[in-house]
Amino acid sequence: MIRNIIRGLLYFIVFVTIQVLILNNIYYLRIATPFLYLYFLLKLPVGVSNSAMLLISFVTGLTIDVFSNTPGMHAAACTFVGFFRAGMIRLLIGKELLEGAYPSYSVFGTGGFLRYTVMFVVLHHVVLFLVESLTLFDPLFLVIRILSSALLSVVLIAIVEAFNMEAVKNGE
Amino acid sequence: MRKLLEFLVSKRHWFLFILLEIISFVFIYRNNAYQRNIILSSANVVTGRIASITGSLTSYMDLREINRDLSERNGQLEMELLRIQEQLEILQADTLLFQGFAPDSTERPFPYDFVMARVIYNSVSYASNFITINKGKEDGISPDMGVVSDKGVVGVVASVSDHMALILPILNPKFNLSCKVKGSSYFGSMTWNGRSIKYANLEQLPRHVEFLQGDTIVTSGFSTIFPPGIIVGTIHAFQKERDDNFFSLDVELSTDFASLSNVRVLRNYRQEEQRTLEQEGRKND
Repeated sequence: MIRNIIRGLLYFIVFVTIQVLILNNIYYLRIATPFLYLYFLLKLPVGVSNSAMLLISFVTGLTIDVFSNTPGMHAAACTFVGFFRAGMIRLLIGKELLEGAYPSYSVFGTGGFLRYTVMFVVLHHVVLFLVESLTLFDPLFLVIRILSSALLSVVLIAIVEAFNMEAVKNGE
Repeated sequence: MRKLLEFLVSKRHWFLFILLEIISFVFIYRNNAYQRNIILSSANVVTGRIASITGSLTSYMDLREINRDLSERNGQLEMELLRIQEQLEILQADTLLFQGFAPDSTERPFPYDFVMARVIYNSVSYASNFITINKGKEDGISPDMGVVSDKGVVGVVASVSDHMALILPILNPKFNLSCKVKGSSYFGSMTWNGRSIKYANLEQLPRHVEFLQGDTIVTSGFSTIFPPGIIVGTIHAFQKERDDNFFSLDVELSTDFASLSNVRVLRNYRQEEQRTLEQEGRKND
């Protein structure tokens, strides 16, 4: 339990910092921004209670919001994906998972983890960019932004996961 | 009854979900107002300090001082130029008058002054962007002051804390600026379309205004925020609007928002006076 909290805090600080200080400034081809901080939410252990998951994702989103001057947008999107995370894992991986296992290539299988990541990221980006463009509607541009940002995020998450030493150790 | 309660308890995360989403949307909705909540932005104490540290790391140590001095010098020169331009215009307009009664033009004060500030947070990737600078209330900055860089108009101060201020740049759909083509006196309204950080649109420009591609767009000076004649950009392309009575211009912005580091905040001594006058006028209407 304590280990879970410390691990979670460490992930939170590291990935929120990377997001806020570095990735928020990336604006590839003026359309795409990667949101790597979702990796923290993706890596929470399987079987976190629904309420805890919702609160954690809300707080994460709000932290990003405060730093990037977009009050409420990331919070809304994160709460949304947080709500569907358990269902997503059940749908993609099935029920025979150990409670408390951390999602990773070895636990979910490479394909399984990638499918989970893509679904999670796309759902988050759709909500985020929809909320953001409520005032400014331009459907084609919106779709391009969602897809390109999602692609960047998924690629980054896949790379980080491949180099995550913790995942390698747990797999043995 | 117990079954119902049990059902509600087992679905409690649904209520939490709805509650949290409502909270998020309240934040989003409340921040659609022009004046923003300073607590939930990069101008509050904690985020401001972090942004300020990273900002000072990224602006190269040696270049910073030199850069600041240069911009300050540039700012003084620009103020001088604007002051002289205004005096020149008055003199030109006065040539037909009896000179004996003309007041001494040097005694007419130019009502603008500026404060140098450094950008500590800048976003260009969102549909509504904001900039944070390292000067605030204690440096004499208040909302609705204009902000310019060496190259042109940047935006307007939206809200201030003690040591930091949040700026609404041109790259925000809520920003609206009255501009004209240099040399003519017809004005239009400048807004951003959310697509590219290099371009903005000047709309509502009457059809009979004459201009060419590459002409300069400057502030009109009708608001109390910017003095007239500050460069905003150049005309990139234009088309007629649907009802054919107005032009819509694509303006290439002269300020490079992606690499903004030093800005000047313009203080207008007469802003309060003009605003109260205008409000009174509206009240009596």
